[in-house]
Amino acid sequence: MHYDLIIIGMGLSGLMAAKTALDLKKRVLLIGKGMGGLTLFSNTIDILGRIPENLNLKDGLFEWIKDHPEHPYSKIGVEGIEEALSSFISIFPPPYTFQSLNGRNAKLPTAIGTFRPTYLFPSTLAGGTYLKEGNTLIVGFKGFKDFYAGYMAKEFKCRHLTLSLQDEGRSELTATYLSRLMEKEGFRERIGSQIKNALKGESLVAMPPILGLRDPMDAKKHLEAITGVEVFEIPTLPPSLLGMRLFNRFKEYLLERGVDLLIGNKISKVQIKSALCEGIEVYHPPITRFYSADHFILATGRFIGGGLEAERERISETVFHLPVWSTRSQDKWFGENFFDDHPIHGFGISVDPSFRPLDSEGKPIFENVRVIGTILSGHHSLYEGSREGIEISTGYWGAKRLLE
Amino acid sequence: MTLSSKKRDSLKRNADLCIRCANCMAVCPVSRVTPLFPGPKHAGPGAERFRRPGELSVDEWVDLCIGCHLCDSVCPAGVPISELNLLAKAKSLDERGRPFRDWLLTHSYLYGWGGVLFSPLTNRLLRNSMVKRLLETILKIHRKSPLPDYQSPTFRQWFKGRSSRGGKKIAYFYGCFTNTNEIDVGKATVEVLEAIGFEVVLPPQDCCGLPMLGNGDFNGAIKKGRKNLSSLLRTIRSGMEVLYTSTSCGFMIKHEYAHLLELPGSEDLAKHTFELFEFLRTLKESGNLNFHFKKLPVKAGYFAPCHLRALGIGFPAFEILKLIPGLESKVIEADCCGMGGTFGFKKEKYEIAEEIGKDLREAIDRLNPELILTECEGCRLQIRHLTGLKVLHPIQILRDALRSSSDQEVFDVGDALKNKIGLKS
Repeated sequence: MHYDLIIIGMGLSGLMAAKTALDLKKRVLLIGKGMGGLTLFSNTIDILGRIPENLNLKDGLFEWIKDHPEHPYSKIGVEGIEEALSSFISIFPPPYTFQSLNGRNAKLPTAIGTFRPTYLFPSTLAGGTYLKEGNTLIVGFKGFKDFYAGYMAKEFKCRHLTLSLQDEGRSELTATYLSRLMEKEGFRERIGSQIKNALKGESLVAMPPILGLRDPMDAKKHLEAITGVEVFEIPTLPPSLLGMRLFNRFKEYLLERGVDLLIGNKISKVQIKSALCEGIEVYHPPITRFYSADHFILATGRFIGGGLEAERERISETVFHLPVWSTRSQDKWFGENFFDDHPIHGFGISVDPSFRPLDSEGKPIFENVRVIGTILSGHHSLYEGSREGIEISTGYWGAKRLLE
Repeated sequence: MTLSSKKRDSLKRNADLCIRCANCMAVCPVSRVTPLFPGPKHAGPGAERFRRPGELSVDEWVDLCIGCHLCDSVCPAGVPISELNLLAKAKSLDERGRPFRDWLLTHSYLYGWGGVLFSPLTNRLLRNSMVKRLLETILKIHRKSPLPDYQSPTFRQWFKGRSSRGGKKIAYFYGCFTNTNEIDVGKATVEVLEAIGFEVVLPPQDCCGLPMLGNGDFNGAIKKGRKNLSSLLRTIRSGMEVLYTSTSCGFMIKHEYAHLLELPGSEDLAKHTFELFEFLRTLKESGNLNFHFKKLPVKAGYFAPCHLRALGIGFPAFEILKLIPGLESKVIEADCCGMGGTFGFKKEKYEIAEEIGKDLREAIDRLNPELILTECEGCRLQIRHLTGLKVLHPIQILRDALRSSSDQEVFDVGDALKNKIGLKS
């Protein structure tokens, strides 16, 4: 099979690149060894969490780009980032859409009772921006171990209600099962009235992100009609239904435009001829299939996505064996706190302005391979709060600069 | 259970690759609708740590795994989750004993001929509500489950009565269901292949063994596999490729014979076995497929069955259908129909199958199609049952769009064809 473009990796950057290429009417194969990591994250869109609170995002990004010439954002520029974000938002029409808080970072509550800055968030999370001491009833479910309402209530100095669904047959509940229940009107009426009776002057109700997979805004509005107060979701542990909503919408959009989708297919070999990649081999026991393309985009992420692998003495890139760039030698790989500015987050692939991977002398290695997403060097996305921003903007521009 | 101990050990060892990311928990169609199944992460790699040879199973719920492979496909660590479930299911059934019902559901190839021979009677009986109640009480087959009709003559008998057209020989593995219950799928396949210049050969064949495998009967599945291999290897060695129209039979032959059951010769066979539309797509890519379709103004929903997804070939039928002018086809946004081969027939699982099917039915309602197309016979039974719509294998609609018509018909071809495929009956 021959394609205009093969995209390797099904996370947000791969999905965004596929969307961009299909909008340009290209024939695209999107292949992932799993389904990407969207169900691992809360899927609010972090652009740059580290902006001082008095700055809006645009000004913050200008400053950031000035100070970080090696950062992926510096290859795109502020206007480029904005264009990519509008392309992303365009496939989420209301009612379930993404919004910002007046062009600034919003502080949204987390399931461990803290606040974290993020830029775009889905409509079901919006109520979280109003959470204050005493104004929110936090609702959890007995047996749903991914969301402890009592703990959060203590941290936020609010009250909580833990609903018991004893008639549901098993002591343990999962996120997908709860969301399925929530899709039923009768269930919403039942718990809606329990919540209403428990309210003591609160103006908000917080829940785990279980307002259904397909039409969460319908569930939200229905619960609001019953309780008389605004209902919102607080993101929690995987599996993230917020991520599933996002992945399902992308999948629907891409399939409508004729993408070929191979979920659960690991690349066993790439076929290279001098500076060109000719195709990829996929071993699917007991046979091997070959897919060729004019262009390739690598969007495999770092360690969590499996794009980078740490061995005892080196870090390697798993598909094309590209040189992995880091400023630090091996004895400095270690750090106290994974979520802090940990050295391991400094590893990545170095690219030119059109996202072609570079060798140690700064020359492009392949003519027809582009690298996008968090596997790029020059950022510490977890620490910066820039993960989704990097994925969306490099996904969009990686494909656009290649194909236009 | 006669899976090699080496294979079993390697599957079990892979349980430790699980990074607990919960991707599988996001997609499992069963744990989404019932809390009785704890989900793939817990049932597969999680519970694996508590399973010791010689100790009794404590996880009867593993029997609720529907075997759709969705968990395997989304796993970033490559844990063979559904295979771990299958091993555990087999062990638990070995201990508890298998109900006669399971034997009956997985051995239709033994009594299918009887169903065909007395088809008017069988069909009437299987639709009778008293009989259905008896089936439920005695055999634990749910009275509302969509039992298939039998057709006479069988596909093989129909084929025997035809004269050869000549052309390059190609073998067809039609599967039990095409032979006794949906013979038009076989007829359409033969007509299309002949229309593009092939001579169709039906090699000797038996049940692929997938129903047994799905019910944890490795022994039975291996026996079927060996039998089919000896016939199909002869076929490919005589220079023919083997095509299949049932994605479930195909997945079994192409992947499970080799990957899971490790049957000798299966790797060779896999290299020469193709899904029908995958084969047509290859012909098209190499410029060797020249269809002349007539306009077929029908709004169709296409559903990709789980075993097609597991084959990793994309949606080739959906691609080829796009060539038919006027046919407006859209992918149905759902991952599982709930039938799971024999899962949805069972009394204790019927409600779960119905609940799973609800997502699919709602997705179909949103599309509002006149017709549903899907490659799997189980999905077709279930979708007819869920929606009451006409459900066909994609090859049937392709055949209808190819059929020659007189010039007169060209002006009113839409309605004429709609009549032919029964939309206006």
